[in-house]
Amino acid sequence: MDLTVAGSLLMYLFGVLFIRNFVLVFILTLLLLSLDFYYLKNIAGRRLVGLRWWNEVNTATGNSHWVFESATDGSRVDNKTDKRFFWLSMYTVPALWVALAIFAIVRLQNLIWLVTIVIALVLTITNTVAFSRCDKFSQASSYAGSAFLGGGLARGLASNMVGRLFK
Amino acid sequence: MSRGVADHPYDDDHAVLDDDFLNDEVEPDEPSYNTSDRAPLTGNIQSSSSSAPLNQNYLTSRIPGEDRRAPQNTIDESVWETVSRDLLAVWEKMKQVLYPKYLLGGMLQRQGSGIGDEESQGFGRDLRGLIGRWPDADGILQGGLSEGLRDWDLWGPLIFCLLLSVFLSMRASKDQSDLVFSGVFSLVWIGEAVVTLQIKLLGGNISFMQSVSIIGYTLFPLTIAALLSALGLPMIARVPVYIVLVSWSLAAGVSILGGSGVVKNRVALSVYPLFVFYLGLGCLCFIS
Repeated sequence: MDLTVAGSLLMYLFGVLFIRNFVLVFILTLLLLSLDFYYLKNIAGRRLVGLRWWNEVNTATGNSHWVFESATDGSRVDNKTDKRFFWLSMYTVPALWVALAIFAIVRLQNLIWLVTIVIALVLTITNTVAFSRCDKFSQASSYAGSAFLGGGLARGLASNMVGRLFK
Repeated sequence: MSRGVADHPYDDDHAVLDDDFLNDEVEPDEPSYNTSDRAPLTGNIQSSSSSAPLNQNYLTSRIPGEDRRAPQNTIDESVWETVSRDLLAVWEKMKQVLYPKYLLGGMLQRQGSGIGDEESQGFGRDLRGLIGRWPDADGILQGGLSEGLRDWDLWGPLIFCLLLSVFLSMRASKDQSDLVFSGVFSLVWIGEAVVTLQIKLLGGNISFMQSVSIIGYTLFPLTIAALLSALGLPMIARVPVYIVLVSWSLAAGVSILGGSGVVKNRVALSVYPLFVFYLGLGCLCFIS
């Protein structure tokens, strides 16, 4: 995670110094960003904190909806360091891109960099929002589960409550 | 979970039914295409029966309550499993582009026997003169999206869009190549969004991102065209080759978007912007 994040940030910041070609820097940044997005969404989130989310399309109606999944309690031992690192990077990376966006607007840079920043912001913020929602559900339902000692009822109740909160 | 179990046999039955229809309708002189297109279908059936937990998880997630606890087996899978599954999903979508159903198989004419009012037949006849075996409006409407296209991803659109822009900007003069790159790049994304919006407004049952994803994958033939331009194909040779490539894109786009359920009389209206989009990109490849 850190490698691709750092890669995309560094490529954006210093790429032009070493590679004298805007287009190449843009492409590399974009590819690193999307690799980072994929890695966080499908691999790091699952292995470090046991959360996962995705979008599903109902082919009959064409409606898409988001699914937020979390591992059952006690089924996995979380590494505290991993967890802290994951959430720290989850929130700092979008913040860094916002800072870069302000920079780019103030300096009135080339449009291509604004486009890059917009793409970066969309990708990273989507990940952050989705994972924090996953985590909220996970915490709420593990609280309910420990209070009523398991059973589908408590879990269903918790998921209903949370579902209403987010509607 | 219980719902997943209940749905499971239905899915199998349905697939078997489809298979029977195929055997009845597909001409016997195209066996190679036939098997190649059905391979993913049978593959799906096998994998769904062998790895039942994954499949159940997939089905239960259609329940509107969105948050849930993960079954252990999929959230703890290895990195390689995740990556290979996603790569397979990408390849599945590519295959849909490589073999456009309408032009090669005529699969969707299976229900064209008795159905079809005067209007749709007229529509079909007019266009059939234009492009070989154009399907009936009914065929388009009832096609249904194939399984592989249900979960969208943006890898295809990203890669093809980047390749297209790079190839087209190669031939541009030094001071203009940045401009060409960003122009083509934004043209592709905006074009995809506009075409999708049009389909949505005409009552298509397709989600926005799904349609963008599909249109992005169908840019593959145009990427070939751009590559040929970058390699410096002579102008004379470009005309027939690019016409073939553009119609390949259009055929793939139409056959994949076929199941999107656009209102009956508006199929031509919804296909037209797609055609303009492909044609525009084809012309860009032509002049570059």
